[in-house]
Amino acid sequence: MFTFVISIIVLAVLGFVFAALLGYAADYFRLEEDPRLQPIIKILPGTNCGACGSASCHNFAERLIKGEVQVSGCLAGGVEVEEKLAKFMGIEGLDVHKKLATIHCGATEKQRKRKANYIGVKTCQAAELVDDGGLFCAYACLGYGDCYCVCPFDAIRMEEGLPIINRNKCTACGKCVEACPRKIISLRPFSHPYVVACSSRDPGSYVRKICPVGCIACKICEKEVPQLFKVVDNLAVIDYTISDIDADKAVEKCPTKCILKLP
Amino acid sequence: MELFGIFFAAFLINNILLIRFIALCSFFGVSTKLDTSVGMSSAVIFVMTISSAVSWIIYHFILAPFHLEFLRTATFILVIAGLVQLEELYLKKIIPHLYRAMGIYLPLITTNCAILAVAFLAIDYRYSFLQAMVYSLGVSFGYSLAIVLFAYIRERMALAPIPKWFQGYPIAFITAALMSLAFLGFTGMFGL
Repeated sequence: MFTFVISIIVLAVLGFVFAALLGYAADYFRLEEDPRLQPIIKILPGTNCGACGSASCHNFAERLIKGEVQVSGCLAGGVEVEEKLAKFMGIEGLDVHKKLATIHCGATEKQRKRKANYIGVKTCQAAELVDDGGLFCAYACLGYGDCYCVCPFDAIRMEEGLPIINRNKCTACGKCVEACPRKIISLRPFSHPYVVACSSRDPGSYVRKICPVGCIACKICEKEVPQLFKVVDNLAVIDYTISDIDADKAVEKCPTKCILKLP
Repeated sequence: MELFGIFFAAFLINNILLIRFIALCSFFGVSTKLDTSVGMSSAVIFVMTISSAVSWIIYHFILAPFHLEFLRTATFILVIAGLVQLEELYLKKIIPHLYRAMGIYLPLITTNCAILAVAFLAIDYRYSFLQAMVYSLGVSFGYSLAIVLFAYIRERMALAPIPKWFQGYPIAFITAALMSLAFLGFTGMFGL
């Protein structure tokens, strides 16, 4: 009987002591945290990708509250997060444009002509250092997937030596743009379907020899849709400030099919 | 020398994961990546040392005088759960960086059987307070060593050409078994 009673008492007292200690500690160690911090962290993607320049999403939230960064600072979250943050922080009338990474090369592994076989370290960064990675075209995708490796959102897959962007997963964080040693990745407006899949500034006669899908600067696109296309330095360039324009004709007439209309 | 013996025995010869096979769930659960395994082991070192100290004190000064040794399972679970909560509050306030680094692993440790096992074993071996401390340090460092080594191997295995039928957990179990065999080689070292 004594053991029975004493064990109940001991456990009850221990439980009570711990409860009291925890209750006291919860009060004593109360964190004077900005009440806006947790909701902001919930809005942020939480991948800690670092594209915004802050060490982590937590860090970004703290700096946002202090006013050191803007609501548009979260590149990975894109428009969705920016709108939510703006709404939460009480900012209105922001001009937001959702973007998408775009590869400006359309030559697959087989289509790229090689002058030598590159057998070094299998990264674009290393290949670029050694005589254009053995390719004739100094603007072609090297195909070792540096962009694929660096993408924090699994939005790039490699197909026949070319990176393909998954438009649903891409957040336009810009990591691939930085990673590409040839600078053939850029960000374009999300809703803009037209892409020039070539970055070659070589003269048309040379491009014609080394690539079946390169821009040969024939200026047909410029003739068809002069508002949108312009040939600069032997390369067709799209003016992305103009939206809602039908340029299917240019896509059709492009002799090397390097202007693409993506879904 | 005796303390060194206790530490070394707990660290390598009776390694809690590879020789005693305690806390295997976390061994396989959080060892897929190196940084998660480092986070888990730092949390284990921290919690194990403190919880075994407190449970030793409670056992010897509260349970033993009243002859309530049979209550130790319930009491230790209560102690560990309460302590982890307390440590979480403390870290969040005082060392927020460490708190964020440990992240989810700190509350998860409440249910890690290695913590409870160490509290029991330190009493079963009739260790003094200092010996119990050294013992729990040894065990927790042994845990860290095993899980970090294992995480290194698993990171390599993710890239290795493994036959389809062995991919994932099967090869992990085989690797753990081989590591366990290797650790058996420490038996008898220093006459322990």
